[in-house]
Amino acid sequence: MKFALSSPQGRPLVRAMTLAGPAYVWLLLAVFLPLSVMLFYSFMSDVPTSGGNWSLTFQNYLTFFDEPLYRKLMVRSLGLSAQVTLICTVLGFPCAYMLAKVIRGRTREALFLLIILPFWSNGLVRIFSWNMVLRSGGVVDWVLNHLWPWTVNTDLMFSYPAIVIGLVHSYLPYSVLTAYLSLQAIDDSLIEAARSMGAGRLTILRRLILPLAMPGMLAGAVLTFVPVVGAFMEPRLLGGRKGTFIGTVIEDQFVAVFNWPLGAALSFTLLALVLAILFAGMRLSRRKDK
Amino acid sequence: MKQDNTIGSLELDSPVLSNAPHTPRRRMWSVGAVLAAIGYGYVVVMIGFLYLPILVMALMSANASPLYELPFHFTTHWYQALAEDGVLKAAAFRSIEIALWTTLLSTILGVMASLAFFRYDFAGKRFLQAMLFPPMAIPWLITGTAMLIFFFAIGIGRGLHAILLGHVALALPYVIIVVGARLRTFSPELELAARSLGASGWQITWRVTLPAIAPGVVAGALFAFAVSFDQFVVSYFLSDPGETTLPVEIYSAIRKGFTPEINAISTIIIVVSMGTMLIVSRLYRFGGEQ
Amino acid sequence: MAEVNVIKVSKQYGESRALDDVSIRFAEGGLYGLLGPSGSGKTTLLRMIAGFVFPDSGQIRIDDQPVERLPVERREIGMVFQNYALFPNMNVADNVAFGLSVRHVDKSEIKRRVGEVLDLVQLGSLHGRRINQLSGGQRQRVALARAIVTRPRVLLLDEPLSALDKSLRVDMQVELRRIQRDVAITTVFVTHDQEEALTLSDRVGILRDGRLIQEGTARELYDQPASEFAATFLGDANILSGRLETGGMRVDDGSLIRFGVRSTVSNQTKCAVRPEKIALQRATGEAVPSAHNRLTAQVAHHVFAGVNTTYMLDWCGKRLKVHVQNSGDDLIPVGSQVTLSWSPDSTILVH
Repeated sequence: MKFALSSPQGRPLVRAMTLAGPAYVWLLLAVFLPLSVMLFYSFMSDVPTSGGNWSLTFQNYLTFFDEPLYRKLMVRSLGLSAQVTLICTVLGFPCAYMLAKVIRGRTREALFLLIILPFWSNGLVRIFSWNMVLRSGGVVDWVLNHLWPWTVNTDLMFSYPAIVIGLVHSYLPYSVLTAYLSLQAIDDSLIEAARSMGAGRLTILRRLILPLAMPGMLAGAVLTFVPVVGAFMEPRLLGGRKGTFIGTVIEDQFVAVFNWPLGAALSFTLLALVLAILFAGMRLSRRKDK
Repeated sequence: MKQDNTIGSLELDSPVLSNAPHTPRRRMWSVGAVLAAIGYGYVVVMIGFLYLPILVMALMSANASPLYELPFHFTTHWYQALAEDGVLKAAAFRSIEIALWTTLLSTILGVMASLAFFRYDFAGKRFLQAMLFPPMAIPWLITGTAMLIFFFAIGIGRGLHAILLGHVALALPYVIIVVGARLRTFSPELELAARSLGASGWQITWRVTLPAIAPGVVAGALFAFAVSFDQFVVSYFLSDPGETTLPVEIYSAIRKGFTPEINAISTIIIVVSMGTMLIVSRLYRFGGEQ
Repeated sequence: MAEVNVIKVSKQYGESRALDDVSIRFAEGGLYGLLGPSGSGKTTLLRMIAGFVFPDSGQIRIDDQPVERLPVERREIGMVFQNYALFPNMNVADNVAFGLSVRHVDKSEIKRRVGEVLDLVQLGSLHGRRINQLSGGQRQRVALARAIVTRPRVLLLDEPLSALDKSLRVDMQVELRRIQRDVAITTVFVTHDQEEALTLSDRVGILRDGRLIQEGTARELYDQPASEFAATFLGDANILSGRLETGGMRVDDGSLIRFGVRSTVSNQTKCAVRPEKIALQRATGEAVPSAHNRLTAQVAHHVFAGVNTTYMLDWCGKRLKVHVQNSGDDLIPVGSQVTLSWSPDSTILVH
C-alpha cells in the first residue's frame, strides 16, 4: 500500500529526490561518470596527462581484432567462466535441494549458515588458502602419499585446474544460495499434488522442480559468470604463468604497461560481450516461458 | 518401530520422500530414505570442500615449518611476527578505518535512499531502482579501472580518499537492497498514524521508522563493512603504492614470495569476517524465514 | 469408483494421538464429509486415505484391496488441495493433462479428455491460460478437473471451499454436487464448516480429538446427535443436565423433562433441545399443551434479526437460547417471566 507523504513543502518527487539524491549523486560520480569517461578514453590514442599529442581513434578497438592474442584470451576467459559456472550450478543444485526440501529445522539453519559463511570472508585470502592444499608437499600431496603405496608428487599449483578449483570454491555459495531461494518458494503441496497424480521422483524433478527453480539457477549463473570473466587475481595467484586471461591483460594495461586507452577499450569490449551473452540468455529464457 | 517419521532431522514423511512402509517385518530403508542419506552425505562433503582450505590455512598459521610442510609442530611464532610486522599492521588499520567510514557513509546514504523508495511513488523511480544493478553486475575489474581513469582525469588521483569514494559506491546498492527488504515488512500505516498525531517528517523517521527497521539497518551496515574490508580489486587499482589496504598488501606479499605471517593474518581476517556474518544472521534470520 | 473402507486406524505423533481407532466406510459413488474442529484428525485421515501418511495400525481398503502400505503414487486417487496446488510453470491445459501424461496416455487422447473435463467444470475456453491469470473460483475448477481427469477410484478434497468468499462458496457447493453426480466417483472431503458439511454431503462423519464421534446423514446427525459435542457442533442446542428417571429426566429446577418414543435410553446425563423447537409464552399467555415440557425462565436479552428473534433466557443460573419466528408479535421485554415449552419428541438425550 503506497501513500504519498505529500507535505506542505513540496510534491513527492522533491522530497524523494532530497532523500535519494545524495546516494545517487555518489553513484553518479563514482560509477557512471567514470564508466563514461573510460568509454571516452578508449577512443584516445594516448594518455592525455603525459603531455603528448592525443587524438580520437578507433585503433584501440581495432587492436582487438588485429591481434589474435586478444581474441584467444577472450575466448579462453569466456570458456573458463562457462566451465566454472557450469560446475558451480551442477554442484550447487543438489545441495540447495537437500537444504530446501529435505533437511528441516535447526539442522537446516545451521548447515545453510555454514555454506554461506565462507562467502563473507575475504576472497583473496580464500584463494590463497588453496595454496596450502594444492602445492607439492601440501595437503593433497600428503594425503595421497599416505594412502597410496607409490610416492606421488602432485603439484596442482600454478595450473589451469587450480584456477578452476579456486574459482568454483569462491562462487559455489552463490549457486547454492540462489537455487535455494527458488526451491524454497516451491510449495510442498505442489509436489504432493504431482505425487497424487502418479508422478515418480524423476518426473517431478524434470517437469516441476527444475522449471520452477530455473530462475534462481539462472540468477546464480549470472552472478558467477560475470565476475569470473574479468578475473585476474585468481588466475595470477593460482595459475602463475599459465594464468593469462583477458582480465590479467587488462590489469597489465593499467598497472604495468600504462596503456590506459587500450585497457579501456579491452574493458568495454569485454563488457559488451558479457552484456550480449546476458541478453541472449534472457531472450532464451523468455522464449521458453511462452 | 519409530513413532515419528524422522531420521535425525530428515523427515521421512516429507512429501518428497515418504515411501517408507511402517511394518516391523520389512526393511526400514526404502529408496526415499537411501536417497536422503546420500544427499545428506553430499551436503557434508560440499561443506567439507568449502572449509578444507580455510582450515588447512588456519592450521598452517600455527605450524612451525616456514615452508608449509607437515608434520605439524605447534607454534605462535608467526602470529608474534605478525604483531611486529609494521607494514601489515599499518595496512590492517587503514583497512579498518576505511571500512568504518564506508559503513557510516553508505549506511546513511543508503537508508535515506531506501526510505525514499519506500515512501514515495514518483516518476523515474523504476529507473533509479534499476540503476542499482550495474555497479553490482559489472565486473569489478572494469569499475575499478574506470574509477582510476576518472579520478585521475579530474585530478583526485589515487589514494585513500579515492578508495573511500570507490568503496562507498560499491556498498551502496547492497545497503539499499538490504534495508529495502526490511522496509517491506514495515507497515506504512505506522508512519501515517504518527503524522496524524502531529509528528513532523524528521521525528517520524527518527522515532518510528528507524527503530522498527533497526535490524535491517544494522545488517546493511555490516554488509557495507564486509564489502569494504574484503574489497580487493577496486582497492588494488586505486591505492598509492605507499599506503595500501590490507588485501592489497597481502596480495603483494604473496606475489613476492611466502612468509607464513600471511597465513596468520589471513586466518585472523577469516575468523573476523565469518564472526561478523554470524552476528548479522542472528539479526536477520537467513535460511528460514526470509 | 470404488468403496473405501477405513478399519480401526490409529496414528500417533509423539505425545498426541492424531487418530484413535477410527473405522468408517465410504460407499461407492457417495459424497462424504468429514467434519470437525482443527486438531480433530480429519485432515490426517484424509491424507491417510490419500497415502501421504501411513497408519500405525489398522487397514485401509479401496475396492477391497488393502492399500495402507501403498505410497500415494500407486493408489490411483485424485486430490484437490486447500490452496489448489496448481503448477505455476504450466498453463491450464498442461496442468490438467499432467496426470495423463505421467501415465503415457496418447497425445490425442489426452487432448480429448482434457477438453471433456474442462467442459464439465465449465472452463472450456480457458485451456491456454496461465495459472496466475485465474480467479480463485477458476483455480478451484482447474484443480478439480486435474484431479478427476485420470478417472481415479477415490476423489479427496481438503477444505475445498474455505478459500472462496461467501457468494462464490454457495455457487461452488451446487457445482461440486453436480460434478460429483456426473462423474460418480467416491468422494470424501474435509471441512470445519458445519453448514458446508450439511449441504454438500450424503453422509457426514464428525471427528473430535482423533475419534469418530458420530456418523450418518445430515438429517440423522441434526435430529439425533448422540453427544453434547455433536449437538452443539452441528447446529445450536440448549443442554440441560439431570438424572434419568422413569418417564423423563429430572433437571436442575426439579422439572421432569419428557422425551419421545424414538429416543434410546442408555444412561445419558444430559438432554438437548434445539432453540427453534421451543415456544415462548408470557406468564399470562395461552395454555400450553399438557404433554409438552415446560420450564420457567426470565428474559435476559433479545436480538431482533428480521426473520426471527433470538431470546437469551436465564434459568437456574444457565443461559438458554430460543429462536422465535417473526410473526408480528411484540418483542417480549427484558426481565419478563416466560414459559418455555416444547414437545417431548424434540428432546434429545445426549452423552
